[in-house]
Amino acid sequence: MRDEFPILQRKINGYPLVYLDNAATTQKPSSVINAMNDYYLNSNANVHRAVHTLAGEATEGYESCRTALKSRFNANKAIITSGTTEAINLVAHAWGRANLSDGDAVILTEMEHHSDIVPWQMLAKEMNIELRYIPVQKDLTLDMDLFEAAIDGAKLVCVVHISNVLGVCNPVADIVRIAKANGARVLLDAAQSAPHQDIDFMELGADFMAFSAHKMCGPTGIGTLLVADDAFSEMQPFLGGGDMIETVTIHGSTYQKNEQKFEAGTPRIAEAIGWTEAIKWLSGIDIKSEHERILQSARWLASQLREMGMTVYGRHDDNDAAVVSFLHPTMNSEDLAHLLDARGFAVRTGHHCAQPLLERLEITGTVRVSLYFYNTHEEVVSFVNYLSEILERFA
Amino acid sequence: MNYSAELSELIEEFQEIDDKMERLEMVFDLADEVNLLPIEDWNDATRVHGCQSEAHVKVSLVDSNVNFLAGADSKLVQGLMGILTMAIHGINADEVLTLTPDFATEMGILNSLSPSRSNGFRNMFDKVMNEIKQQM
Repeated sequence: MRDEFPILQRKINGYPLVYLDNAATTQKPSSVINAMNDYYLNSNANVHRAVHTLAGEATEGYESCRTALKSRFNANKAIITSGTTEAINLVAHAWGRANLSDGDAVILTEMEHHSDIVPWQMLAKEMNIELRYIPVQKDLTLDMDLFEAAIDGAKLVCVVHISNVLGVCNPVADIVRIAKANGARVLLDAAQSAPHQDIDFMELGADFMAFSAHKMCGPTGIGTLLVADDAFSEMQPFLGGGDMIETVTIHGSTYQKNEQKFEAGTPRIAEAIGWTEAIKWLSGIDIKSEHERILQSARWLASQLREMGMTVYGRHDDNDAAVVSFLHPTMNSEDLAHLLDARGFAVRTGHHCAQPLLERLEITGTVRVSLYFYNTHEEVVSFVNYLSEILERFA
Repeated sequence: MNYSAELSELIEEFQEIDDKMERLEMVFDLADEVNLLPIEDWNDATRVHGCQSEAHVKVSLVDSNVNFLAGADSKLVQGLMGILTMAIHGINADEVLTLTPDFATEMGILNSLSPSRSNGFRNMFDKVMNEIKQQM
């Protein structure tokens, strides 16, 4: 598998790259890079309108991404966005503005990424809606009793499927069931789960699901919002412009009926073509067994780090992601990351765009190791060995 | 650019190191060169903005020479402060004001740091220089 990812052959400071920052973005296989390159070399044109050959190829390539998304995640509607952040903002603007009113409540959790907090805070300022945050407990799970207590009067529940900091997988099936029983719609931030799990959107029953291509071996700059049919019918256009209209006169416009209604302007064609290849690549591997393999490595890493005196933030249950966030009792996280980089180990430090969660944990940041399917256990072992060396020399 | 003998020697020492790890190790060791600004004296006025770590500096002039105190929650940042200490502490303010951050580039240390850390160093340098100018 590693041979398919050219960048993994790279050396950093003369040492083999050990890429452990996959929750931020994943590397791309040759098939994705080649497909995007081939599009620009041979098929570049704008989509949907023109009748010439190139336009046909570009349209087919772009729409193949939508088809692949619908098929892989079992959804009827897949709006192509610039990523998870835009997808969530789209729910806020296209659904929120049309369906929320004074005094309505939106439920969030303390585990959310900033991209699932800030759009709602911005909307709350404009529309006088109430934001209710479900706390994270000491065992790093959401307080479901408080969720049930908060659901009354809520119109929308926004929840992260898998935490980008902790790797904790939330009980989204229960959350959807409780929300639906109370007439609330559900927006799932699947940025970290879609790359790691087989998700059946319709079976899960959520109304919206947002995720990005670049965390699942696809290109940056493209993502999607999967939408259930009834929620789709409640959405009003947000961005106006070309491609989203049926007709335009000086007196007014009519809009497309399908997902294009929310895709104004020239879309991300090369990126869509690249993402289609990434989805093909993912479909070609056994995600379940690969996930179990890297989760085992994450569990081993967590135990080693604890033995080294680190505080580890994560529980690594079966559905959790292979993410290990940790802190050394005295050594600054960024100092550690610089020293790791000197030998080619790429990790993430900082607040991971989840400051409310870190505030709950009473910390300001962590060092985060996040694995993907091309990582090997040997890489994790070499990470532990080198970390021990760093601590001996510098801590 | 004419540097002090001590700074020139330090630049040469850094230039002789090829390995990034060794270069970082040397920066870590230079944290000991800092005249520490006690944590209780850290405040908004001493804070270096644009630095991901907590980094604080305080500059005063004693008989026209620069007195430089600093502190950070990162040893690497404190090491950078140690380098700046060697470049400016106890040196005549007029002479210090001829310095540019180029000396750190010549050392190769800025290339060894993340963009946010090297920007932080430049912000620290600018803050120190502005405060010296204000006190002259």
